[in-house]
Amino acid sequence: MLPRLRSSHARFCFQKASPTSRLYRDHVDLIYRYAHRLCGETESAKDLVQETFLNAYQGLKDFRGEAKVSTWLYTIASRACIRMRRKRKGEPEHELSIEEFVPTSEGEFRLQIPMGGLSPEEAFQNKELREALDQAIDKLPRKYRMALVLRDMEGLSAKEVGTIMGVNERAVKSRLHRARLFVRRELSARGITEHDNQRSGGLRS
Amino acid sequence: MNKKKTATPKKRSKSLSHDHTHSEGRCMDLFRQLSAYIDDELPADICEEIRRHLGACPNCEVFIASFMQTVTLCRHRSAPELTSVDRMKMRRAILTAANAR
Repeated sequence: MLPRLRSSHARFCFQKASPTSRLYRDHVDLIYRYAHRLCGETESAKDLVQETFLNAYQGLKDFRGEAKVSTWLYTIASRACIRMRRKRKGEPEHELSIEEFVPTSEGEFRLQIPMGGLSPEEAFQNKELREALDQAIDKLPRKYRMALVLRDMEGLSAKEVGTIMGVNERAVKSRLHRARLFVRRELSARGITEHDNQRSGGLRS
Repeated sequence: MNKKKTATPKKRSKSLSHDHTHSEGRCMDLFRQLSAYIDDELPADICEEIRRHLGACPNCEVFIASFMQTVTLCRHRSAPELTSVDRMKMRRAILTAANAR
């Protein structure tokens, strides 16, 4: 659907935009948000957006529309992210096993996340909680982070995530489950208290 | 020729609890199925078994609460937005790089 454009000239420019301009205009915010969630910081996210659109422009003539444009761009961004992180950090990929998250004591079972009946928005007024969540996601091995970001943060279906990551739905669900267990353990082990919640109540993201 | 796909019944996972004893095995079964449970991917009878187990196992009940809170926080974590200036600068940089390739 076309946005409301006031002048006829603006409408003309909007409709006459080249395919690459339209692709950028319609999807840059989506891809930046995804890139920021994957990279965890602004400059790397911008680099990833640029790399994504450069690759997309090159592949645009071959795009046949079998997938949604957004799915196609998420796929390009995900692959570019893998290449860029490999270059920068040479980070080893390691597997997460379910067993490593099994609580071994009653105390561990009962570790809590300091939400205390607050809505997520209210809970995020706690700067420490925001940072703990971001750091936990950043610490996840890449393939688990991607599954969590695409499914829980971008809100895609397991099937779409599978298409993007090149794996079946079962693998997506398995990675997502381990990623959630990892983040839950990181958050609850930080010992953030509700006192911190009140103390940093004025800080908003 | 492509075969038409037929719906297959969901595989039954191991029963969680019938006798309401809380051996490690039953808690482990729940532990493995937590995501499927909160994503509503399990058959109704398994969900019912899980609810029964949760009602009788305080450790699992507390654990699943913190697990669900984790997922809720992830789903609501906002990401920063691009400014219109950044959007324009990046577009220019992409076009320059595309012409150089």
